[in-house]
Amino acid sequence: MHSLTDNALMLQVKSGDLGKLGLLYERHKKRLFGFFYNMNGNASLSEDLVQNVFERMLKYKHTFTGDGTFTAWMFTTARNVNYDHHRKHKPTLHQNDVTTMEYKLQDPEDVERGMIKEDENSLLQQALKKLAPEKREILVLSKLKEMKFSEIAQVLGCSEGAAKVKAHRALKDLRTVFMQLETG
Amino acid sequence: MQQEKFETKMMEYLAGELDQEGRAEFERVLKDYPEYKDEFDSLCHAWERMDETTVPEPSERMNESFFEMLHAKTQKDKAKPKDLWKGVRSLYYFLWRPQLAYGMLLLTIGLGVGYFLNPGKTDDSVRTVAVSDAETVEVREQLVLTLLEQSSANKRLQGVNEVNKIQKADEKVIKALLQTLNKDANVNVRLAAIEALINYVENPMVREGLIQSIVHQESPIVQITLADLMVALQEKKSVESFKTLMRTKELDSSVKQKLENSIDQII
Repeated sequence: MHSLTDNALMLQVKSGDLGKLGLLYERHKKRLFGFFYNMNGNASLSEDLVQNVFERMLKYKHTFTGDGTFTAWMFTTARNVNYDHHRKHKPTLHQNDVTTMEYKLQDPEDVERGMIKEDENSLLQQALKKLAPEKREILVLSKLKEMKFSEIAQVLGCSEGAAKVKAHRALKDLRTVFMQLETG
Repeated sequence: MQQEKFETKMMEYLAGELDQEGRAEFERVLKDYPEYKDEFDSLCHAWERMDETTVPEPSERMNESFFEMLHAKTQKDKAKPKDLWKGVRSLYYFLWRPQLAYGMLLLTIGLGVGYFLNPGKTDDSVRTVAVSDAETVEVREQLVLTLLEQSSANKRLQGVNEVNKIQKADEKVIKALLQTLNKDANVNVRLAAIEALINYVENPMVREGLIQSIVHQESPIVQITLADLMVALQEKKSVESFKTLMRTKELDSSVKQKLENSIDQII
């Protein structure tokens, strides 16, 4: 069964057996799609980003050493894909836009500028969208994607302790947003 | 407990990363320090509310785009040796400069003379190696088939292990392995047959054979191994076989639970 673990399959992809990526895709497509959907709330965009992750895995397959877990490597790639997408689609800011920018940073509605809003029925989705992206990301990874803090630490490039502290801060912010939404 | 340590422990507790002892200790702290308990309750509430999230199913379009992309990359990858040949050719032209020409000419003449003084031998030896390789595979396959028919389980196990030494087993051997998986009286031999067949899961005949063998299995360990394999392969066609197995055979309760979980994971 060892030859069918995620790490073994990715090492086979690395050595040229590209077809094995199909198995990895079947195993992880829903998890990745869920990650992007929780991050941006847009199903169509999330599907495109899943595709980008697998394309990037093929392109950078030589960087997979099999030392860490495949999941951590995959989510590191997913995170970079997500970051690159939002960087490319961010509106250009000019010097005289500074005041507007400050205003935008304070306005939670504008944090999600550029994202198509679908299905905002649940309070949770609204609350998640009001969190800063890096805070939303750590909560999605730890709670919804059930990743261990040791893996999250690899994805974020920090220590395990730091990942836990970040998750705690993010959870506190989420609690505050919940309270704001419920009272006002 | 210090505030920062408490926060870290709380995240471990919520994420289910504490062992039984760690959980008990954390719960003791909550009991002894009401201020920590209040903070924990409010954050735990927010954490649990995250379970309310709903994610839609990705569309068929995502699968289509992925497999198109994979197919295109695989084709491109197959075409790569040509690019490599192009590289070798350009290197050859680069080296083919006037100052090297005389040296290469002399070397060619030397090789030509050597070839004519020593005719035929190299060709024969290469041919002999190729023929003997093919013969080895054939002999090994024959050995596998013979060993699998022996009455001793050890011999049959040895037969299955011989398959792993063959780079690409032919249809006859695959069929014999599937037969072993379905009919062999010894559980270890059956398990070894599954391990050997794993190397051929891309062959539709093997996948189909594995699925069909599910309903023939009596041993819990074989049933669980096949369930794990089908989950790893995400083989949807196996769901029906597992359901039939659960309907028709009296299963151990933990095996039944395991099969139900596997079906959920496959769907």
